[in-house]
Formats: sequence, structure tokens, C-alpha cells
Amino acid sequence: MYLKELTELFGVAGYEKRVRDFIREKIKDKVEIIEEDPIGNLIAMKKGRVNKKLLLCAHMDEVGFMVSNIEEDGKLNIIPLGGIDTRSIIGKKVVVGEKEIPGVIGFKAIHLQKNEVYEPPQIENIKVDIGVTKKSEAESKVRIGDFVAFSVESMNHGSWFSGKALDDRGGCSILMDIIYSDIDLYYDTYFVFSVQEELGLRGAGVSAEKVNPDLAIVIETTTSGDNPEFPPDRRSTELGKGPAITFAHSGYVVDERLFKWIIDTARENSIPYQIKRRTAGGTDARRIATTLAGIPSAVISIPARYIHSPMSIINLSDYDNTLKLVSILLTKEAKL
Amino acid sequence: MKELIKKLTEVNSPSGRESNIREVILDELKNSIDGYEVDKLGNLIVWKNGRSDKKVLLDAHMDEIGVVSSFIDEKGFIRIESIGGISAYNLIGSRIIFPDSGVEGVVGIEGETTQDLQKNLKELNFDKIFVDIGARNREEAEKLVPIGTFGVYSAGFIDLGKRVVSKAMDDRIGCAVLIETIKRSKPYCKLYGAFSVQEEMGLVGASVVAFNIKPDFAIALDVTAWSDTPKGYKRMSIELGKGPAIKIKDNASISDRDIVEKLRTIAEKNGIPYQIEILIFGGTDAAAIQRTSSGIPSGTLSIPCRYVHSPHEMIDLEDAENAVKLLKALVEEEK
Repeated sequence: MYLKELTELFGVAGYEKRVRDFIREKIKDKVEIIEEDPIGNLIAMKKGRVNKKLLLCAHMDEVGFMVSNIEEDGKLNIIPLGGIDTRSIIGKKVVVGEKEIPGVIGFKAIHLQKNEVYEPPQIENIKVDIGVTKKSEAESKVRIGDFVAFSVESMNHGSWFSGKALDDRGGCSILMDIIYSDIDLYYDTYFVFSVQEELGLRGAGVSAEKVNPDLAIVIETTTSGDNPEFPPDRRSTELGKGPAITFAHSGYVVDERLFKWIIDTARENSIPYQIKRRTAGGTDARRIATTLAGIPSAVISIPARYIHSPMSIINLSDYDNTLKLVSILLTKEAKL
Repeated sequence: MKELIKKLTEVNSPSGRESNIREVILDELKNSIDGYEVDKLGNLIVWKNGRSDKKVLLDAHMDEIGVVSSFIDEKGFIRIESIGGISAYNLIGSRIIFPDSGVEGVVGIEGETTQDLQKNLKELNFDKIFVDIGARNREEAEKLVPIGTFGVYSAGFIDLGKRVVSKAMDDRIGCAVLIETIKRSKPYCKLYGAFSVQEEMGLVGASVVAFNIKPDFAIALDVTAWSDTPKGYKRMSIELGKGPAIKIKDNASISDRDIVEKLRTIAEKNGIPYQIEILIFGGTDAAAIQRTSSGIPSGTLSIPCRYVHSPHEMIDLEDAENAVKLLKALVEEEK
């Protein structure tokens, strides 16, 4: 399990190099083919028992920002890369650009606010402070176009793991664990670590077109909603109740045969699972499904609290059960 | 054609659960085609050979909007999420059927005080409504409608003479027009008919079909909005009974100009009434098809339809008949 290492790497959408290099280094001797495609997806392959292809996909990118301008006083304007709630980012530590210059996401203190305190801060009014006072000074450290990534250390407390970017380094870690395990794969299995999912599913379709698999399974880390103030009937998933299986999400109804196959497999093997109850948000499955002449696709997710913020939480039992379920699925023929 | 429309609209098949409607359509067509295929996503593709190698694709989506069960409380009330663009306002007072078990339910709304109820009605969304299938507790409801069960409007076919009303007219009327076109025509080109899946989820099926066939050009058959009801959309000009609508543009695509001109010319040559459509919102499978592969010239022929995405969508039978005439002339054209 590489959750700690993976979540502590900086890999904002469009800037996935560190994550890609790390994964490649760790898996390159364990797979039969490994390559990077022109858009930056990492594709690895392990042979199976039959001459058919399954694509297993997790995205490497995380939500973050990009420097869009440098002000006269040396503060950085930023634009979001992916969906971010500005209320969750104020006062948080970040790093900027290849040199990993440390900074703080700044906003005026509560003392200087009147009614604004009740409104989410606008991204136009949020600046990154890298501790300089002049534009020229800032320009010697960072450039327009540099990434801005949350900088937090992960925490492991019993069965709980927290860190940034669990969406979707959780999925990446599952894929790596499967590559490391010696399970008897049914299909020639293509492990795709995709880029720019958070910007609108931009990477995965390219890999799917190249591989042209018979089916695809997307491994995600998805929103939970089991905060105490949220009524149970409106929760999407809950921590500790097992992998979340998706019937439909934005832009795609999951292939019915695969949906049932996954549930049946979980039941037969007494693996706890839950059905994801909200349909908002999409995954790479939408892009993969509509690639070429059509690729039946499914989604299995690790539930996580507070995703798209600087710190999210998963229950490691869900991680283990997701790994277990996916590992069993990969040894079998899908019912298609 | 009325009987066919009735038959097609009465099938319950929301996006992602198209097997019921696929069977009915295939059964309807099996003696009128030269071959068919169900592709990997569940699209039904049929074909009829002609005298030329030119491939023409006519597409109608066979899915309908719907809901899916997402939570059951201890008293057996079911929470739902939308499948496609279904409005909570249209669900209030509606009946829902879950085709897997055939169970029907009614839709209710939360409200702890009259003020609360008024507020919920004003700002209605899926968080405020639930389906009641008459279950006495969670166990009873779970047996019939487990989480992840798909449902659709339960709303019968109404025969108003020249006009008919039903749920799922979007786009079973397109399916009916396509079926009749295939049955009645002796195509000069090789005619492909695609009954595509998951249009309502974002044009999922059609692009895959187009990739598979790579036609010379394609026309999507779908419904379009209307402007001929009291204070209807004043920036549009679509009326029921004035003929099928040749789409110029909607929110997702601009129709290929040659296709627009071809349809217009054929209509005029054959004395078939038609309207010109500019839809200020929405989109059809043509948008997905036209950017498939290395690009496929695409357009849309629409059937004017009132109250689209409600349980009671109304069309005029003459518009459907004229659409068939126009398409028949198109595919029989010796070019």
C-alpha cells in the first residue's frame, strides 16, 4: 500500500509528473509493458489467461491551482484546477511550482470582514503569499503557469487514514497493490494511471482508444457524506461499509451486466459493499464507455470524507475490501 | 402508426435499462431488415441494403428519462435520483413504475408546516420528494425496489384523434418514425437505423454507433420543443401539425448545411409540409455523431412535441407521417 507516499506527492491536474515517475519506478519490474502516452497517462500491462483485454483505471491528478498572475506586492493570483470549495482552502499551506516554494493561501482576517464572513470567498480575492514583498522578488521564485498544490502530511490513526489527494491516489494505490500481488489475472489487464480527470475526464479516453479493451473498471475515491449534520437519506456513501458500487453518475449509466456482476461477486465472497446513492459528479467511466465502438464500463470506489479539500479521510477497511473485491473480479470472466 | 406509437411508448425503458424496448423494436422490424447488431453498449443497429454503397444513418434514441431508487427509510419511503433531465416539479403528483418488479408508487413531498410545504413547493428538488409504494416498512420496500432500481413515469397513452399523448414520446416517436421509414422504403443507399441508448444521460450511445458504421451522413430523429401554447416560447416558431421540423441549430450542434438543404429540397419537391427549427436549448444525438471519427455530416429532423420531459408529451400524427414521407424520399433518392 502506497497511500502515504502517493498522497504526499504533488500532482495537480496537468502536472502529474511526480506521481507518474513514482508509480513507474515502483511497478516497472512487475509488469510486461509500461509506457507513457503523449498526453501523460501511464499504461502498464500484465498478461492474463485469455486473449482479451480489461482496462483498470485510476486517475493520478488531484485538484489544486495554477498561478495566473503575480501582483505588484508579490502575491500570487490563482485559478482552480478542478472543483474546489474556497471555504476549505483559506490559511492552508501550499507549494508552488517545480521548486516547491512554500506558501500560504491568504484571505483577509475575520476582524476585517463584516458580512462577507457569511459568503464563500471569491477566488479573485484569494491570494497565495510566498513571503515576499515585491513582484520582482516573487518572479525570482515562481512563474505564471506554475502549479499550486496543497502541502499536508498524511496521518494514520488506527483504521483511519487521512491525507490530501486521496481522490484518486486511493485508486492508484489499489492498482499498484494489484500489480504487486500475484493474482491469476483472467484478462490481459491494462493498468491506466490517467491524467486530468478533474478537469473533465481528459486523459482516460486517450488510453482507452489506444488499448481498445473489452471492458473497463474505474477505481475511484468518492464522496461519502456521513457527516453528522447530513441526514442519512441524503448521504452518498458511508465510511466503513465497504467499497461503493455505482449504478449511474453524471453522463453515464453503468453497464447493467457489470453492475450486477460486481454485486454478485461481493455477495458470493462475503465482502461488505454499499451502493453509491447519489449520482452527482462523473468519472473516467463516462469517457471510456463512449470511446471507439463502445466499451462497457463500471465504477468501484473507496468512500472518503471531505474530498477536494486539503485533507480527506478514508477508512482502511474500505480500502482493504475494495482491493479484495477488485482482486477477485480480475481473476474471473466478466458476465457480458 | 398510432398503434405502433402506443406500443412503443407503453414500454418502460429508462436510460441504461433499454433491453425491454430493444426487444420490442427488434420484434417489430425483424421481417423488414437485412440484418442487425446489438453493440457493446446495447445500441440496436439494423440495416437494409440498397443499390449504392453509400451509407446513411438514421438515429432515434430508445431510452426515456426516469428515476432510480437511492435510499429507503425505516417506514418504507423511497428516495430517488434523476436519470436524465426529469424535473421534480413533474414528479409531484405523478405515478412511478419500477419495471423490474412492476411495482408502482406515487410521489410525495416533505413539509412539516404549511409554510414549510409552500417553501418546498417553491424551491422543489429531489431532496424534498419521495416515492410511496405502499410498503409498511423498509423490508417490504427493499424486496420490491432495492437501491439502484430504475423507474419511469407511469402515464398511459391518450388517443385524442389526430394528436396523441404519452410519457416517453421523447423519443419513441422518433423510434416509430424510424421503424416506419425502414418498413416502407426501398432505399437506394445502404440504410442503417440506430436505436441508441442513454441519449438522456448525455448522448452516450450515438457516438459509438457512428464510430462503428462511419456513415456518409447521419440524421437524428428526435422531438423538439413547441411555441404554440398560451405564452409558449416566444423566441421559437414550432407548431404542432405544421410538419416535421428541419433543425438548423440547437444548444449542442449546428446541422450540416447540405443536409438541411437536401431535406428542404426533398420536402418542397414532394409537397411535404415542414418547419424550420432553431431550438434555443437542448441537443440531440446529431451533436455526438458529427464529431465522431474524422467527422460525419449530421443533422436532425424533429417531431414537434408539447410538454417534453413531462409524463404527458403530445405530438400530432400528421407530423410523424410527414416525417416518414420525407425520410423515405431521402433514402430512396438516387444519388
